[in-house]
Amino acid sequence: MAEYNIKTDSAYAVRPNEAVDRLKGALLKDIQRSCYVYRVDCGGCNGCEIEIFAAITPIFDAERFGIKVVSSPRHADVLVFTGAVTRSMRVPALRAYHAAPEPKVCVAYGACGCSGGIFHDLYCVWGGADKILPIDLYIPGCPPTPPATIHGFAVALGLLNQKMKAGYHSLQDDERSQLLHPQVPLDLRIQIERAARRMAGYWHGRRIADVFLTMIKNGDPLKLSSTLQEYLVAQDDPRLSEIMGRLEEIYLAWFAAH
Amino acid sequence: MVLKLIREVLKVGQATLPYPFTPVELAPGFRGKPEYDPQQCIACAACTIACPPNALTMHTDLEQGVRTWSLFYGRCIFCARCEEVCPTGAIKLGHDFELASFSREDLTIRAEFRLAACNLCGAYFASAKELEHVLALLDQAGLPPEDAANRKALLRACPECRRKMDLPRVKPLVQEAFNGRV
Repeated sequence: MAEYNIKTDSAYAVRPNEAVDRLKGALLKDIQRSCYVYRVDCGGCNGCEIEIFAAITPIFDAERFGIKVVSSPRHADVLVFTGAVTRSMRVPALRAYHAAPEPKVCVAYGACGCSGGIFHDLYCVWGGADKILPIDLYIPGCPPTPPATIHGFAVALGLLNQKMKAGYHSLQDDERSQLLHPQVPLDLRIQIERAARRMAGYWHGRRIADVFLTMIKNGDPLKLSSTLQEYLVAQDDPRLSEIMGRLEEIYLAWFAAH
Repeated sequence: MVLKLIREVLKVGQATLPYPFTPVELAPGFRGKPEYDPQQCIACAACTIACPPNALTMHTDLEQGVRTWSLFYGRCIFCARCEEVCPTGAIKLGHDFELASFSREDLTIRAEFRLAACNLCGAYFASAKELEHVLALLDQAGLPPEDAANRKALLRACPECRRKMDLPRVKPLVQEAFNGRV
């Protein structure tokens, strides 16, 4: 084991080791359908823990793939680090890491485990398990849903392939952004969007306003009422009917004024 | 006794979802991976200001006139604040949740944009695409031609030159307000 002082060494107390990495390859081959997971909480909010336990319930049933959560790092093949690595949970996390027998696979779980998440710049936070340990797999999410958890473990064990790819885009010469709903006059669009966002909140308001503006630009203004009615009957949501009714009033007032 | 148990089991059926062999059914309004459309992005930085965990970041190089936008999925908390504030709908939360990845690099996407130079002093001051977008919005607003031309000339200058350009218009107003004491 590398020479370091578990109490005083700050970041990168454990460095990646080539010999161990080779052993890891052999381990992954051996444990494909019998994988013991130990969960290390490095100062998280417990959202990730709840999702991990949801993933081993009968609904999602991670044990179909031989994934079993064990209660001691001595039994573990895979260590799952959740939480943003706080000052006081760093040493327990390192102790759990060293208690697990080599070779072991380390997984950073959740937004906090991957990079510190929303707590990344707090004074007492190291900002992700990869700041103190060599991490083999990142499972982002806040928290990752049980299917995302199962997918993550399947990727770690080599059963599925990684889907994510680094992306890079460089500005092209003729690149232009398109205006949203250019057929609808600007002042009307602003009135509709503001009203929808005020009534339904920003995220839903925008989506509702988008549906309404698409109806305006596609249809005959005289037939708007009947198209809207058809849509609202299909959606069957009194809250949506109320909001759409108000938007229609705004539209009709604007139409009468012009 | 056993028969009763078997009957019960048959009645309940299978509870386990067949995921990952078949796609899982997602709830309406599920917020998955933010999908980014660089064509629509105007590099206005609204999303980077809104992003609570700073998963979205933007670096502006005023010397080179380049602005780099980047999104690190490892830090994203899927709150959709970026989608809320995006003025062009360039970022939308999709339904993809299978983000597991072996390296941090694979979780990062970047886009590079050029900055527009001030047409008076030549200093870089705003994203070129953002400026184009604002000019297009001005056209859509249907202002009187003279007013629109004045505003466009102002917009093409950097904030410092804009202040200087606006001085002749503002000076009499200030003098009037202070009764000629300035």
